[in-house]
Amino acid sequence: MDIHELRITAELAMLDLDEREMKVFEAEVSKTLEYFAQMNAVDVDGLEPTTHVLMEENRAREDRTRDENLSDRLLEEAPERQGRHIVIPNVL
Amino acid sequence: MAEYQSFIGLEIHIQLLTATKVFCGCRNRFGDEPNTNVCPVCLGYPGVLPAVNEQALLFSYMVARALNCDLSKTAYFDRKNYFYPDMTKNYQISQFHSPIGRNGWIEYETGGELKKVRIHDVHLEEDAGKSIHRGTATLLDYNRAGTSLLEIVTEPDMETGEDAEAFIQNFRRLVRYLGVCDGNMEEGSLRCDGNISINLKGKGLGTKTEVKNVNSSRFLKLSMNHEIGRQKRALEKGERIVQETRLWNEAQSRTEPMRTKESAHDYRYFPEPDMPPFRPSPAFIADVDARLVELPVYRKRRYEAEYGISGDQVQFLTEEKPVADFFESTVTAGADPLQAAAWICTDIQKNLNKLQIGLEESSLTSLRLAALINLVKEGVINRKKAELTLSLMLEEDKDPDVIVREQGWEQISDSGAIEALVTEVLQANPKAVDQIRGGDMKPMGFLTGQVMKLSKGQADPKLVQAVISGKLGS
Repeated sequence: MDIHELRITAELAMLDLDEREMKVFEAEVSKTLEYFAQMNAVDVDGLEPTTHVLMEENRAREDRTRDENLSDRLLEEAPERQGRHIVIPNVL
Repeated sequence: MAEYQSFIGLEIHIQLLTATKVFCGCRNRFGDEPNTNVCPVCLGYPGVLPAVNEQALLFSYMVARALNCDLSKTAYFDRKNYFYPDMTKNYQISQFHSPIGRNGWIEYETGGELKKVRIHDVHLEEDAGKSIHRGTATLLDYNRAGTSLLEIVTEPDMETGEDAEAFIQNFRRLVRYLGVCDGNMEEGSLRCDGNISINLKGKGLGTKTEVKNVNSSRFLKLSMNHEIGRQKRALEKGERIVQETRLWNEAQSRTEPMRTKESAHDYRYFPEPDMPPFRPSPAFIADVDARLVELPVYRKRRYEAEYGISGDQVQFLTEEKPVADFFESTVTAGADPLQAAAWICTDIQKNLNKLQIGLEESSLTSLRLAALINLVKEGVINRKKAELTLSLMLEEDKDPDVIVREQGWEQISDSGAIEALVTEVLQANPKAVDQIRGGDMKPMGFLTGQVMKLSKGQADPKLVQAVISGKLGS
């Protein structure tokens, strides 16, 4: 992977990497990609892609509301609130 | 001036009418207190396991089937990666590689003509939360996060804003008929973005722009037509069209470029590892098929061809499925179709508006309406008394013949009784009688009215006229 691609990937992942980290990751990510290249080389013609290890059965849920409501507990975890709204800095 | 061709495709999002969200058991409801319908799954906590809502799948397959799509035998979900505070996981669970439906088509009607639009795909995904921007802070409400959203992507087969407007109106009726979405564009349960490009005739698609923020079918029409004009003027000046997202500015009636980040979008789709693929069983597909209905566009055309109902009446009858169903069962119960249409579109509507209730909530049944229409047809009551009977039927929840009997409204069609009434009126109005005898027929209406009044509206007006004519030798 060249450094330009790595920069775009880091940007998409919202990672702020400095030059030293860039160097480290360039090597590490390249190694990971090589491993994927090995998998890519395997001939899988005619095989259905596996997207999940449980290929046998559907796992759908009935359209019924849960009894318990954890929303108050979850809201307590928010660092800043205004009424029941969660407050964050305006990032846009 | 060169001749251009325009191409419009739509990306439509509909909120499905499920009781719960698409991947968790939180309530799916509009207007609740902020952050009440949230749980670790839809707030994107680590280690949680989403499970797909089977009703959402059923609704999605119904829409895909109604749009004549190839249905996916193995539908799976993908993660669409992007960072935005209204989506806590930093990805949206959507479908990319194997959506529920593909390669469909649907006909819509505009100006009495059927036109066809191809459907690229139909895919199920989760909606995002809502953010309210207040100066330096943003307030987040995740009640909508994770609710089921079905996206329908059409091919660029429409040409004008009028086409797009007609298409979205037809589509709205379709999803309401299927009962999968309430179709409320103002509240955002049906949203629509328009993709549009123009090119010299015969040169194929041009560079497209996408127009967002269109929350009514009328704005869709206006924004598409505005964009056609803008792109034409740019090409005439020798400029190039920039591929971009634009917003519809309602106040200024024009589209404007949307502020975008420089870095290109790359959603890095990959299969959602938390959920197994969904393989619809034959029983599931049979259930989907059993829930399909005659689509509104065909129902409308059938009423026109079969019953000769047209214009606003056929539009009104087929706008909402319950009304169309009511009309049909009234006809099945033995009423004349044109009479049934007239009653439903005018008198019944007037009464329901006065009572401020819908047809389904009222005590009126199709059997009662058919009985009422037949009381008029058989001459038991006249049309005027029938209107009063209808009001009482709605207010008192009674059969029409019971009301007619209770009120003593049976029409007087006994010629002896009518002759007596006519004689009385003729004696009281010698001037009018002379006029008619002298060949001036003008007072006929007046005399008939007087007899009707004397009979308290119960005389058969046709018979009254005949008796007057007979007596005056006219």
